[in-house]
Amino acid sequence: MSNPATPMNANAPSSSSGGAGSPDSAPRRNSKRPKYSRFTQQELPACKPILTPKWVISAFMLVTIVFIPIGLASLFASRDVVEIIDRYDNACLQGSKSEKVQFIQSNANKTCVRSLTVRKRMKQPIYVYYQLDSFYQNHRRYVKSRSDSQLRNRGDENQTSDCKPENDANGMAIVPCGLVAWSLFNDTYSFSTGSNQQLPVNKRHISWKSDREDKFGSDVFPKNFQNGSLIGGGRLNESLPLSEQEDLIVWMRTAALPTFRKLYGKIEVDIEAGETINVRLENNYNTYSFSGKKKLVLSTTSWLGGKNNFIGIAYLAVGGLCLLLATTFTLIYLVKPRHLGDPTYLSWNRNPGGH
Amino acid sequence: MNLDETKSVDLQEDELPGLHNSSSHRSISSNSLRANSIKEVGFVDLRSKEVRYGSRGGSNSMSMSRREISDEDSRLVYINDPLKTNEKFEFSGNSVRTSKYSVLTFLPRNLFEQFHRVAYVYFLVIAILNQLPQLAVFGRFVSILPLTMVLLVTAIKDAYEDWRRHRSDWIENNRLSSVLVNDSYEQKKSKDIQVGEIIKFSANETIPCDIVLLSTSDPTGVAYIQTINLDGESNLKTRYAKQETVSRIHNNEKINGVIKCEKPNRNIYGFLAYMEIDQKRVSLGPSNIVLRGCVLKNTSWAVGVVVYTGMETKVMLNNSGAQSKRSHLEARMNREIIFLSFFLVGLCTVVSICAGVWLRRHRDELDIMQFYRRKDYSGEDVDNFKYYGWGLEIFFTFLMSVIVFQIMIPIALYISMELVRVGQAYFMIRDDNMYDETTDSRFQCRALNMNEDLGQIKYVFSDKTGTLTENKMEFQYASISGVDYGGEKTDFYEEQGGYFAQVDGLVLRPMMKVRVDQELVRLSRSGNDTKTGKQIYDFFLALAACNTIVPIVVDTSDPVEKLIDYQGESPDEQALVYAAAAYGFMLIERTSGHIIIDIHGDRQRFNVLGMHEFDSERKRMSVILGCPDNTVKVFVKGADTTMFNVIDKSLNLDVVRATESHLHSYSSIGLRTLVMGMRELSSHEFEQWRSSYEAATSALMGRAGLLRKVAINLEKNLSVLGASGIEDKLQQGVPEAIESLRTAGIKVWVLTGDKQETAISIGYSSKLLTSKMTQIVINNNSKESCRKSLEDALITSNAPRTSTSGDDGSLIALIIDGTSLVYILDSELEEQLFELASKCAVVLCCRVAPLQKAGIVMLIKKRTDDLTLAIGDGANDVSMIQKADVGIGISGQEGRQAVMASDFAMAQFRFLVPLLLVHGHWNYQRMGYMILYNFYRNAVFVLVLFWYALFTAFTLSTAINEWSSVLYSVIYTSVPTIVVGILDKDLGRTSLLQYPQLYGAGQRQESYNSKLFWLTIADTLWQSIVAFFVPLLAYWKSDIDGPSIGDLWTLAVVFLVNLHLAMDVTTWNWIIHASIWGSIVATIICVIIIDCIVILPGYWAIFHLAGDGMFWICLIGIVVASLIPRFVVKLLVQHYRPSDVQIAGEAEKFGAIIESRSAEIEMNQHHT
Repeated sequence: MSNPATPMNANAPSSSSGGAGSPDSAPRRNSKRPKYSRFTQQELPACKPILTPKWVISAFMLVTIVFIPIGLASLFASRDVVEIIDRYDNACLQGSKSEKVQFIQSNANKTCVRSLTVRKRMKQPIYVYYQLDSFYQNHRRYVKSRSDSQLRNRGDENQTSDCKPENDANGMAIVPCGLVAWSLFNDTYSFSTGSNQQLPVNKRHISWKSDREDKFGSDVFPKNFQNGSLIGGGRLNESLPLSEQEDLIVWMRTAALPTFRKLYGKIEVDIEAGETINVRLENNYNTYSFSGKKKLVLSTTSWLGGKNNFIGIAYLAVGGLCLLLATTFTLIYLVKPRHLGDPTYLSWNRNPGGH
Repeated sequence: MNLDETKSVDLQEDELPGLHNSSSHRSISSNSLRANSIKEVGFVDLRSKEVRYGSRGGSNSMSMSRREISDEDSRLVYINDPLKTNEKFEFSGNSVRTSKYSVLTFLPRNLFEQFHRVAYVYFLVIAILNQLPQLAVFGRFVSILPLTMVLLVTAIKDAYEDWRRHRSDWIENNRLSSVLVNDSYEQKKSKDIQVGEIIKFSANETIPCDIVLLSTSDPTGVAYIQTINLDGESNLKTRYAKQETVSRIHNNEKINGVIKCEKPNRNIYGFLAYMEIDQKRVSLGPSNIVLRGCVLKNTSWAVGVVVYTGMETKVMLNNSGAQSKRSHLEARMNREIIFLSFFLVGLCTVVSICAGVWLRRHRDELDIMQFYRRKDYSGEDVDNFKYYGWGLEIFFTFLMSVIVFQIMIPIALYISMELVRVGQAYFMIRDDNMYDETTDSRFQCRALNMNEDLGQIKYVFSDKTGTLTENKMEFQYASISGVDYGGEKTDFYEEQGGYFAQVDGLVLRPMMKVRVDQELVRLSRSGNDTKTGKQIYDFFLALAACNTIVPIVVDTSDPVEKLIDYQGESPDEQALVYAAAAYGFMLIERTSGHIIIDIHGDRQRFNVLGMHEFDSERKRMSVILGCPDNTVKVFVKGADTTMFNVIDKSLNLDVVRATESHLHSYSSIGLRTLVMGMRELSSHEFEQWRSSYEAATSALMGRAGLLRKVAINLEKNLSVLGASGIEDKLQQGVPEAIESLRTAGIKVWVLTGDKQETAISIGYSSKLLTSKMTQIVINNNSKESCRKSLEDALITSNAPRTSTSGDDGSLIALIIDGTSLVYILDSELEEQLFELASKCAVVLCCRVAPLQKAGIVMLIKKRTDDLTLAIGDGANDVSMIQKADVGIGISGQEGRQAVMASDFAMAQFRFLVPLLLVHGHWNYQRMGYMILYNFYRNAVFVLVLFWYALFTAFTLSTAINEWSSVLYSVIYTSVPTIVVGILDKDLGRTSLLQYPQLYGAGQRQESYNSKLFWLTIADTLWQSIVAFFVPLLAYWKSDIDGPSIGDLWTLAVVFLVNLHLAMDVTTWNWIIHASIWGSIVATIICVIIIDCIVILPGYWAIFHLAGDGMFWICLIGIVVASLIPRFVVKLLVQHYRPSDVQIAGEAEKFGAIIESRSAEIEMNQHHT
């Protein structure tokens, strides 16, 4: 850059003699001149990208090229997923709302049989989910009503202050405490084919490994659970440690959205198209009191997860839009090009004197 | 000695009734004092007030002295008797405390001060709300973390600064000085010095407290001091000890006396007191006091009595900070923040109303609903659990939503802005282009809150002397008895190295060489026998004698050669004395009693019988000399306006006429003119003068007024000696700078105290005026005539001019003088003047008083939103500097009052160009972008939270981890915006200097305006919708858990926000790269760390997520889809409506030819 040091040094002696003439101030050895560096002069080497037509069009084309294949791939993946959804809450229990609530709270036999038709071949593993609608597992009162330290540590059994109103029953701490554990989903399903062959459901390792190993203690056993006057849901086997209560572990990983699925188990055999699956379910869980829906979902999986066309469509839309934009801008640049950096475009050159 | 003691006892008894009185009055007086100090917001303000009423100084000082006489406003100092002095009143010790805190008071005081900021109070209120159990949205610790961090950082900064102050206080307080104790001088620590003690100090020592001089090594009692620590003026000033005490110290006699002086005050230029010694009253003034911080120079020792100590010394009383102005951009921003707070309230209302509706609809189901469980069945009675009824629930939801959405109000923005300004100031201070070699001074940022205003200036009000010009005077022309000398100039020192005098084998030379007129040199050498010779003799005698210059002898490398340095407060006087020396009238010595002038090798001693110093009302000074031939002469020097009134025109009308015409021609070429006059005094006149002079000097009331009367009586019937023309050179680069500023669309107004002719000629030489411009001159003496000329001028200015557009011919220059302004300002004519002035390209105001300068600034400020900048160097510019939006002080020859009042200070006028065009432009653009970006950054996050609230039954639980929401504005996104705010450059320095018009971007508010704000808000809305709904729809009806999708949202928003910034950065240097990519990496690390905490519900979520293809697809999709609209709009704007800045940026990159040309320009900028 510029180096003004040489010519200016010539003045230095005369400038110092302009001082007060006292002996101590005469030599100005430590000048206040800012030390020159590219940093302090804001001249660090830098790259200044400019949106030239070439860059713009390539950027749009790049997005197009990336997005359209991904969109297509996810659409195909989603199409390949076979999904059977059966809403059974109303099918298994008819009547007015209060009747339903009364029934579900009673000790009557709640077994219900449903039969599902497989329209397309389902390859194993077939995931069995239950789906709840309008169940706000993310409700503030609910989400906080748990004690993670109690779940993990036997010694922290009494840390139940966050768990209200399900913190203790009969004067003793509840393990696991809180609304989340209390409301454990307890419908059960068993499947058989039309030829009355049992389809076993594997319920092992349906929860996260990290949860089983670290979050839920292997020495923490359920205690005093569902002993209150109001039963919220399932009971737990008191002889099994929490780390092996996988349904609870799955349930306690609270869902993000009010409509959610939770893994029930896996069927590890293929099911051919046209076959009928008979489901024998225990309709225990009370969603009737707040008009929530219960659904049973059997679904195969793809590399992208379950059946969902949204991502595929969205990617195709964005990719298509970018293709459109790329062509539009190509046309714009061809029809009405603008020379970059042309000083005639400057405002004071366009209308002289108008600054 | 006994006598003295009884006297002082008497005195004390005399004072006693007064003292009793005073005890009852004290409260009142202290109140009035306090009222005073409140009025005098700062020292600077006081000075401006003084300047304002300068012309009525007499009445002012009269009232001062009247006040002084009252006991409750005075303090008694018994010389050399600190015990007695401090008996009645506990005068404070000499220890100073500039530190604010002690170990004990630090915490409460510092917190108290910090919470003066609205931002912190907002943080605090939110944190407190969060502590209520019903509203606990965040955990205790999380909720107070941001506030604690901010408080902690500020506290550490304050503590460090205070520790440094403590340390410097300690050094100050423990310096040793010699104090008279029991008739011998002992070393004493500075903090132990008491009022009344006598202290002695030697050359180059710094004075530890305010003292009244008693004696010095000089037999006449003169001491020279340097006040650089006080007001920054490096020239020597003279202080005198009173003759009554000088001899006593010299004879080692004991001094007993009492000084009655004013209560401590902050006026460093005033001091009123008298000393009673030997039953005689001796008056003391500002020339008898030496203030703390001064350095004794050229005097081997001095002795004085302490009158003010420690915090009561004048310099400490003046330690008040600069007043604060608020930046324009910030004021605008606050408007948008108010809108944002309405928006926040809107969001909260929506959430709380929906929550109410939801509760209402489910009111029958809530009791046992698994995720609500209104009833608590665990106790004996079944009662409501955390349910406070419908209304209260809505209310609590509202407050909770305020807590959750709190960062909608970008409070952290205020802190970021401060950091950015500090960074910008760092670069401005260190800019090589704003460093001045000759004064070795850098640019100074005194106010840290208006950097961005520098980019939007539309009016520059400039002082002339010292601002446009160097204020280094050079004698050019002399008119002696009607003869003009100074046509052809030769360098005298070419011949024989300049004039020198030989004294005792030493060669004395003046330090500055002056170009001289050969003819005049010849004539002056010819002696004073001829009439012309006599006139020339008197003229140069007047130049050499009629001043307050002190010659200081400076050693050179050659032992026989010495240089004489003329030290004085007025550069004009210095120039005159150097000129006199060059013509052979060399001032060699000055004491309070006599001066010695070497006249062509002949040392002559003149007794200084009296001196009437310059005052702004008389505008002249006079000195009464007893000449070697036993005649008594009075020499007067002053401004032509007042001098011609006291010149006896009957004596020599031709000479007067000729002098007048010379003066006119001098001033029309831009010279500063002074007129010299003389009169010989008869012994009768002299005696008459002496008695009245002595009466006046010892008067205690209205001394200044009495002295002025004596002076006016003396200064009459003068014969004219001649006139001088002094050139005040334009500063380097001024014409170019003014041209640049004007091209940049900045209107430059020059406000000067000079004559109209001088002002106009400076206007031409600085390229402010061109010959093609239409000049409108307004100088009138009545309101009516002002009205008429304004109306005429308006017609002229409205008339269509024939010349082609773009030519200077269409431009109008308005020249208006102070007298007319008296009638126009603060009257209904102001409106017309404004209308006229806004049509003019140039406005020159001459003969304006300091207050009028401020008035002119206000004329513009009141009527437009345009930003004004005032630049000046002297005390008379202080009021205008304070009034303007941005005040700039030139740290030049005239002391530092302007600098003290300014927001920025620099050494040269031409630095205004890099300051405004380069730094101002950058600062404005950076700050404008930063504010908008911060709005966006916070709003996007808040909106994502808001959308989620709609899916949680309006209960404001967040999927995003609470730690992440707190760290979002602290770690995830804060650094890049600050770094970009400090370092991004939309254009290079060369382009900005080459095309000053680019400055218009700031004036047109291109970086921050409501259109941009609304566009940003719309963009924010779109981006938040994409960022929220893409994951929502992608994971709808899936088994995703809250913390996982929360992590996805966190990462998506952080990536998005940082890439958004990346898209807008123009200049990518490594620091910006590091900050943006570093922030993204830091976010990922933080999210991973948070997800490794076992007892958080989100344990291990991020690792599960990362193994899921959907997560990555969502992330990429969100970023791309969010940014497309912004990108497209940017492209369209760039293509169809390219801004100047953009084109210049492209030219910078592609136009290699332009580049090299502008580089040349920059080089010139450097080297000229």
